[in-house]
Parts: sequence; structure tokens; C-alpha cells
Amino acid sequence: MINVLNAREMEDLFSRLRKDYETFGAVEENGEVVFDKISRFSEVSEKKSRYAPKEFLISRNENVLSTPDTTRKAVFGIKSCDLKGFYIMDKQILGKDPFYTAKRNNTLFVNFVCTEQCAGGFCSTFGGPLLEEYQIQVVRDGENYYVLSSDEFSKYLDGFKEADLSRVDEMMSKFKEMSPPLNVEGIENRIKWNSILWKNFASECISCGACNYSCPTCYCFDLYDRDDERLREWDSCILGGFTSTSAGNVRNSLDERLRQRFYHKFVYYKKSRGEYLCTGCNRCVDDCPVEIDIKEVITHDYQSE
Amino acid sequence: MITRVNEYVPNYTEVTESRKETRDVFTIATREKNAGIPGQFFMLSLPGVGEAPISVASGTGRNMEFTIRSIGKVTSKLENEKKIGIRGPYGNGWPWEEYDEILAIAGGIGIPPIRSLIQVIADKGEADKLEVLYGAKLPSDIVYRNEIDDWKRKIRFLLTVDNGDSTWNGRTGFVTSLIRESTVSRNAAAFVIGPPLMMKNSVLELVANGFSEDRIFLSLERRMECGIGVCGHCNLGEFYVCEDGPIFNYSKVKTQPELFL
Amino acid sequence: MATLTVCPYCGTGCQILIDELDSSARVIGYSRSPVNEGKLCVKGYSGLTYNFSKERLRYPLVKREGKFTRISWEEALNEATTKLRSIVRDYGPDAVAFQSSAKCTNEENYLMQKMARLVGTNNIDHCARSCHSPTALGLIETLGAGAATGSISSLEDTKTFLIIGSNTTEQHPIIGAKVVTEVKKGKKLIVADPRRTQLAELADIHLQFRPGTDVALLNSIMYVIIRDGLQDTSFIDSRTSGFSAFRDEVMNYPPEKMEIITGIPPQMIEKAAHLIGSERPVAILYAMGITQHIHGTENVMDVSNLALLTGNIGKRGSGIFPLRGQNNVQGSSDMGALSEFYPGYVRYDSDKVDFFEKLWNSKLPRTRGLSLSEMFEAAADGKVKAIYLMGENPLITEASVTDVEKGIDSLDLFIVQDIFMTTTAGRAHIVLPATSSLEKEGTFTNTERRIQKVSRVYERPGEAMEDWWILNEMGKRLGIFKGYDSPRDVFEEIRAAVPGYSGATYENIFPLGKQWPINDENPEGTEILHTRSFPIGRARFVPTPYGDPSEVVDEEYNFIMTTGRNYFQWHSGTMSRRTDILDRESPEAYVEINVEDAKKLNIRNSSFVTVRSRHGSIRVKARVTERIMPGVVFVPFHFEEVRVNLLVGNQVDKISRIPEFKVVAVRLIP
Repeated sequence: MINVLNAREMEDLFSRLRKDYETFGAVEENGEVVFDKISRFSEVSEKKSRYAPKEFLISRNENVLSTPDTTRKAVFGIKSCDLKGFYIMDKQILGKDPFYTAKRNNTLFVNFVCTEQCAGGFCSTFGGPLLEEYQIQVVRDGENYYVLSSDEFSKYLDGFKEADLSRVDEMMSKFKEMSPPLNVEGIENRIKWNSILWKNFASECISCGACNYSCPTCYCFDLYDRDDERLREWDSCILGGFTSTSAGNVRNSLDERLRQRFYHKFVYYKKSRGEYLCTGCNRCVDDCPVEIDIKEVITHDYQSE
Repeated sequence: MITRVNEYVPNYTEVTESRKETRDVFTIATREKNAGIPGQFFMLSLPGVGEAPISVASGTGRNMEFTIRSIGKVTSKLENEKKIGIRGPYGNGWPWEEYDEILAIAGGIGIPPIRSLIQVIADKGEADKLEVLYGAKLPSDIVYRNEIDDWKRKIRFLLTVDNGDSTWNGRTGFVTSLIRESTVSRNAAAFVIGPPLMMKNSVLELVANGFSEDRIFLSLERRMECGIGVCGHCNLGEFYVCEDGPIFNYSKVKTQPELFL
Repeated sequence: MATLTVCPYCGTGCQILIDELDSSARVIGYSRSPVNEGKLCVKGYSGLTYNFSKERLRYPLVKREGKFTRISWEEALNEATTKLRSIVRDYGPDAVAFQSSAKCTNEENYLMQKMARLVGTNNIDHCARSCHSPTALGLIETLGAGAATGSISSLEDTKTFLIIGSNTTEQHPIIGAKVVTEVKKGKKLIVADPRRTQLAELADIHLQFRPGTDVALLNSIMYVIIRDGLQDTSFIDSRTSGFSAFRDEVMNYPPEKMEIITGIPPQMIEKAAHLIGSERPVAILYAMGITQHIHGTENVMDVSNLALLTGNIGKRGSGIFPLRGQNNVQGSSDMGALSEFYPGYVRYDSDKVDFFEKLWNSKLPRTRGLSLSEMFEAAADGKVKAIYLMGENPLITEASVTDVEKGIDSLDLFIVQDIFMTTTAGRAHIVLPATSSLEKEGTFTNTERRIQKVSRVYERPGEAMEDWWILNEMGKRLGIFKGYDSPRDVFEEIRAAVPGYSGATYENIFPLGKQWPINDENPEGTEILHTRSFPIGRARFVPTPYGDPSEVVDEEYNFIMTTGRNYFQWHSGTMSRRTDILDRESPEAYVEINVEDAKKLNIRNSSFVTVRSRHGSIRVKARVTERIMPGVVFVPFHFEEVRVNLLVGNQVDKISRIPEFKVVAVRLIP
């Protein structure tokens, strides 16, 4: 369903949702946009958050021997690139991991669709910023908030003025014009196992893991015991220990691990789940201390090597 | 195994027996009946220490047994614990029911899933469809030494060591060298398990001896933690070894550059 | 709630936001910080979970009959102070020694050094002795200030980087990353290191020179600069003194003659000298690789000579950057937790100490105190009867560890204040549980002199208390402190005590920190030092003749072992080994051996090797690599089960008293 609301009606929508959900949103603190509990719609920042809030689905650290949390939460102001990442992760994890599944089934994401490309972002490459899969999606046009709700959530939009997508489509066309998609089509066939890119990246990379931690589609975690808890925490596939066993290590050098990360994103996941494991959010580039740019993996001329 | 709300929480079970196989390999038996099929694995755990993925070494329906090499933080402790955690079974099994003849080739500590296979096939009364080739580094590395004589009475079982010693009267040479002596027809399926180099050479030898690539099955090993395809560690190409494997049809994975690592 | 604070690991002092969105917290870099611009290394992201280890000390403990028993704070503080008082009464104040912590806040370091001096002794020291004491002493001598002359962000204006004795991408990863991004933009890089580090691979010139020959290397570079007229004559004439004596010394070091010492062919020296002489501004980054030597202070002074010679001080993009190790070692040194310096680097024997006598309303000691290693020697000799130690683990991190053990075992009273039961705390009589850096308020000063606000993120575990609280209570019971109400209270006094901190307040250093000196002339702090003049007026050239390391390589001990750190673990491992990811990445000790050497000695990768020096031996796994030069081996000191410092002797630099961790003659036995 598509409705158009004004700011006061958005507060109204917010209060309706607040009856059923604990409300969180993107808020500016100390000049950074982070996620925090909120009590009014007006508290939500429209700026791109400092990080993709994947801890709403995968806790930074948690004890897997505990009971999965089923608290109902609504998250406002998440960007489309981050939310799209969650839909892509669903294909591998939803229904298999009890914690992710419990959280995913009980969290409502109200994403704000960008009408201008952020610096470095390339979400139009992956179909963004207007999502095809969503729960409640908001596109702001000055005083007007276009709210797209899926069937499950349209009941919250009862009574608000209905609208059509023409203005939204106009804004999205302008977006794509200003920020044309990169040619990612067929990257899984163009990319080369022995490309010079991997060694180049490895010579610069300092193995901080920021790319994994900031990415809305990276879901890998490490499981370990500590006293009576079995803990898991976010892991990074570019670290050597990621594949180490007592028999050895299948990816001994940094260039092999960096290649694995990009292959997982652009080749393997496409083959196994039908989607690229990237949404063009550019957070990995923003957080990389040596400015390794994932866009280079897409645009590199592998043929000429 | 019962499915529970939280797949990560193991069942705790009593270890009824622990026996030494070789210097650093031991077998433990539990009271629980094996719900897994040959080739599948379980996550064994000790609270406060960790988990380890171990293939089941006994046949379906029999008491669960695991044969383990003591080499890491968890495995070195499993030999002497009275109570362990078990969750699973995970992964897929050897597709033994789909073929009339099976040639199983095992190297070193790779043999436990073949033992499981032998027991299941024998229990079904179809022992004559199976032939087993087994190679160990040294005579002292042979696992299940006292069971092998019994197996030899039921199935064609060829044993070799890479290097013999003064006590050894049997064959010497790599297990791959036994392939051309096998009596199965070229329509047989080959199940291969062992160290990566041994598997690579076995595949080469099998293909050279007329076996077709899509009837060769490998059991692969990677670092595994969750066992359910979500933690990412066992990723191999578009597969996760814990859920798409550990048994893989060679023709489906032969182009993977990381296959035999 | 996202709390802004400072990373507790290295001296880069990255600002971190800890966001406790659900009960577990995500750590991100603060994007507005001029230090790290939102970036972090793996220790920042994944290295803070040690904070929740069940091994955290939660209660005061006293050792009775060889076993630790839990006691109350009242009992612990009373017992500690009563015993301290009686030792001072019976043996004099110099029978007590205080060891402060480069990981604790400025407020805490200030309190501990004040406590020592009010008790009547200058026996206050800490691990800065073992890392950058040559920097403090060397640069104060040559420039008048012993700290980095520029800022991290000023490196964007640098044209040529000279990195000597620093494996920057592993030890100061965010600073190393900055160098990498600048090099990607086309800036020039010279790396002088016996190991082929990541930056060495990216360098235009890698000078893989023999450990301990730094002065010969630097002097030969300066020889070429002077010979070819590449020095900055107007800078030398207008801003420095002592040039001619220095020049006369340097002209004894032609590169051809130095090759036999350093192992570097003359043409590489020529190339490096020309790059430094012509592609300015040049920033010189250095760390333990030049300080932890018997000639550490001279090495630092020679670096200063090079910067002065080429006019690379006082301009943005140029400068000298001693990369300070611990998160607050710059601050702890500024606070005077060093035996020869009162706060603000006032020498113990200068009349400026009068100022402190007035400020603290007490007569103060004017004789030089003991350095860290001297404290343990004095303890073994029975001269020091008590040591009060905070946040240090000398049984792992000090040189000549057997002497440290002997010293500790001879003490009548050993009080240790820490967050874990470290190897050192295990030998204490009284253990006081402290809160971690994430559980207190205060300030840290990073390697670019930036005073940054530390904010409390988590609650105290058990009965653990902040170090400043413990020191405050101890001080009150000793009758020397009137009692401080809060860290802010202490900071107010620091502002009065240290001129460079006078303009800083908890408000104006939040959220972005301010680089000292911050005072009336520089209300926003000072990014670049020495822009117009030096604190000593003109900077000094100091002629530095080359001297061999103290350890002699001979037929029996035919290898040079250099000790150091790696990226994943941190110092004695008390924090990093209690975090999952870091410990997984580097779980055990190793010795790096050159491929050719390993072949000759029949040493295979991952096999065990005995490494023996004249002082001790360890058995450790071999890591055969091409990255280290033949004849040299490297062992990290993170692993308490393989204490490499058993092999390091007690020879120290006579000026700074720093041990020679970087050059130890060893023998390898497969």
C-alpha cells in the first residue's frame, strides 16, 4: 500500500507502532549518527548512519546457549542499502540460525530511502535505493512523506491518504541519472582468480576487519567457549585464523583471503543464492584505513591482465 | 537427534567406553543411538573448552561411536571425559544406496566414515557390493586394526602402509597404488577420504583407470564451527562444507581452485 | 547510548564510540577524530572483550601463608599504608619505590608520582623507561621538548617519510595506514629496519641494516647530505647551535666505510640521502627499533640531528615522530612518573622544583631516583624494601627477568594494583583490584601530544575501584593527600602543575582533544612544535660517535636476536590473550628465522628451537621466513609461557637507563 503523510501524521504512525514495538532509530550523538532508543519520530536523523545496524539481527557478542530474544523492535531511519543487505543475508541464514531468525521475525525495519547519492555510495548498481522487498519504506519529498507498506504492515497505515508512486518514481529516476549504476552484470564471469588486484590490496591492507564489521551483508562469526558460555562474535574472513585448523590453513596469505572475500560477494553467493552479496553502501570503503575500494573489484579490467 | 528451539544447545550424554586405536587416535562410544548416516558428522563439545566436528564412526541405529585424533584444544580432552555434549547430525552422507558397486578408498585418520559405511552396508546384508582400500603411513598408524580381520571376512578389503617396519608382513606402497587392483567394475562409485594430497592423487588414479568423474565422491574437511551453514568458516566456492557436504560429487567441485588444500 | 572514549591499546589513541545498542557493544572509530578519522585496527574492533573476562580481579587480596585471601578495602588499605609507613620510618623514604602505569590516566600517574615525592623519594618510574626514555632525554637535550613535533593529520603534508625502527602498520596500525595512503598518493618512503615489514615492501628504499648500527647508518646518510650541500643552511644558521662540532664528527662516516658496520651498500645510502635532502618536507617516524639500545639516547639525538640538518622541524608535514607505545605513555611521562623528572619534565636537581614545594606545600627530594631496573636491583640488594606497583607486568616485560624475580622475592612489601592476576601480581603480598580504562573517567595523552577525554562506559566489576580512588585513599591514609573528589579535581591541579596542560579543561578537550602545549598563547593547543623557536632557544646539534651494542656476537653466540611485538597481541598479553579473535590470530610464541639460516641449521618451520643467550634460554617454535635478514632472529615478548626477556641482559644505556632489548647475542639449537 502507498500513502502520503505529513510530519504530524508520521508522529501519529510512530505512536501506532510504538504500541506494539520498542522503538529505535538513527540519532545524532556527538556528531555521529548511531542507533538508540527513541520516543518520537522527530528524533530520527535523516543522515546516513555511521554503521549498518546489523546487531538488530546478529548480536556483536552473545551466548548461543541462551534463549533467543523475541522482543518486538521497530527501527526507524535505517537506510535502504543496509536493509537490502539483511534481505540478502536472509537467504543464507533465516530459518537456520535461531537467534537471527527470532530477531528477524520480530523486528520491523522502517527504512528511509535516500533521494541523493551519498559520497562514494553505489546502491543503484544493486537496484537501490527504492527496495522491492521491505516492510515499511519511507521516501521524503519536502513536506510529503511517501510511505510504502507491505501487506503485513499496511494495517498501521489505516486512515492515511493514499497515493501513487509517480512522484517517487520521478525522484528515483533522477537519482539513477545522477548516480548511474556500475556495470556489475556478469562480474562473476569476468573476475580473475589470479588478478593482480589481490596482491595489490594485500600490500596495503592492515587486516583491521573494518570491511567485515561495517558490511550489512557480512554475517560470519566465531564460536568459542568461555567458562560456562558458548560465545559467538563477529568474525573477519580476512584474518588468518578464520580458516586455520590443526591440519593447516587453506588460505595462508592475505591476498588469498582478500580474494575470498570478494569472490564470496560477487561469485559464490551469486551462484548459491542468486544475489550479489553487496548493496553498494560503501561503508567498507569509508571505514578502510588504506582506502581499498570495492568498486575497483567491479570496474577493474580483468581482460587486460 | 531431537530438534530443539536452539540448535546450538547440545544434548549431554555419557561416554560408556574409551579405547585407544593408535598412539594419538582413540575411539569413544556413547549410549545414544546413531541417528546419522555414514559420512555425516556431529559437533562434540566439552563445556568451557569448545566444540569439534567429528564424523560418526558407527552405523545408523547402532550406539554412537567417534574415532578422534588428539590434536587440538578439544580433541585432546575428549579421550577421558565421562560426559560430552553432542549435537547433529549435520551434513550429507555417502550416496551408497544409489550404486550397485562401491569402491571406498581411505587414508589414515579418514577411515571412520568408512567404518560407518561398512557397518551399515553389512547390516543391510549387501556387503558384496563394497570393496575397501585402506592405507596408513606406518603400521602403528593403522586404525581399527583388530576389526580389519573381521571385515576381510565380509568384504574385499586391501590394506597397505606407506612404509613398513620389522613387524610388518603386509603390503607397502601408497593406497592409490591399490586402485588398479580393485575388482569393481568401472560403473562403480568411488568414495574417497583422507588427507588432501591423498585424495587428489586417488582421483587422478581413478580417472586414469576409467572411473567416471561424476561417480567419484570426496569427503572434504574445513574449519567448522556452527555446523549449520551460517558461521562462514567452511566456505568453499559456492558451497558450505557443513551443509552441502562434507560429501561432494567430484564433477561438481573439480573446478574449485581451493579443492585439494 | 554511544559513549565516546579512547582505545586502551596503543599510543595512537584512536577515539572510539562504544555503542551498547543491545547488551553487547559495537566499537567503531569516531569519524570526527583528527587522530583516526573513524578508522580502527583489529584490536579496537575485536580486542576489548577482555573487559568481561571472568578472571577480572574483583576483590582486594592479601597473601597469607602463601595463599591469596579476600579482604575488605578497609583492611587492604590499612595494611598497605601501615606497612609502608613503618618501612619509611625504619629505613627512610628511599627504601620505597613506586612503579606507575603508562596505561593509567594522567590523573592517576600524577597522583602516584606526587605520592612518591611527598613520601620523600624520587623512586618513581614506569615502563616508559623501557621504551621512550631516550626520547624524553634525547629530545629534551636537543630541542627542549621530548615529544612528537607534529600531528598525525599533518602527515598529509609530508613529501618523504623516513621510518626507522618502527613496524608501523603492526604497532601503530592507524598511523601506518596513514603512511600507506600517502604513499598511494605518490609520496616517498624510506624504511630502515632489519626486517622486511609491510611498509618496507611498499618503500622506495628499504635499508635492511644490522641491528644496533643506527648511528653509523644515520651518520653516513648525513655525511652524504653535507658532502653534497643538501643541508638547510639558513635553518641551521638561524635556529641551531653546535653545527661545526657535529659536522666534524659526521665527516668520519663516509658510506663506503660504514658498509662493513651496517651492511648497507653505499649507493643505497646515497639514494636515501638525496631523497631526504631534496624531497621535503620530511617526517621521521621512529619507535623501539632505535630506542631500546645501549645507545638509545644517542640514536634519538642523531635522528634529531638529521631533522635539524635538513630543516625538517617546525613546518607542517615535517618533523620528528617518536611513536609512543602505550595508550598513555606520553601522558604518564608528562606527569613526571619518571625518576629524574617532576611533572612537566622539571629535572629533580633544578630549582624549578621549588615551584612544586610551594604547590604541594612540602619539602621535596632533590636526588635522582632509581630507574625501573635499578629498583629491582636495589630490592635484591636489600636497599629497597617495598614496591607499590600499578598496572605493569615487569616479570614479563622487563629485561633481565631473573634479576627482576630476585628483586621481587627480596621485598618485605610488594603491593600490586591491576585488573588481572598477572604473573607479577601473583608474587604480591597485597593485590588491589582496579577498574579498566573502560570503567573510569580521566584523560590520556596520545603520541601526538593530544590530551583526550576518557569516559566511563561500563560499571565496575565486583569491588574493583578506579586507580585514582585507590591512590587517593592510600594518600589520605599516609597523611600526604588531603583527598581529591574526582579525576576532574586532580586534573585541575595538573593544569597548575604542568604548564603545557594549563589551558586544557575537561570541557574543551571534548570531543576532539587538544595537543599540548595548550595555554594562553595557544588556547586551541599546538599542532606543530618549534615553529618559531625552541624551548631552549636554539636547537642543539649533538655529535654522536658510533658505539657497538653491548652484546658481542661471537662464534658461540652467532646470531642477533631482536625482540618486539606483533599486530594481534599486546605487550604481556594480559588483555589481548583474553580476547577470542586476537588470541586466535596469534596463539603462541615463535622465533622468526631467515630461510637460508634455517636451511643451514636444519630447522624446519614449526619445529621447536632452543634460543639461548648469555643470560637465559627459551624453547620456541620456528617460523621460517624471508622477511628477516640472515644472522638475525626475532621473538615477540607477548607470551608468558615463553619469556623472551629471560634472554635480555641488564646492560642499560648510561643516559636513559633503557635496557638493550633489541640486540641480544644468541645461539640457535634445533
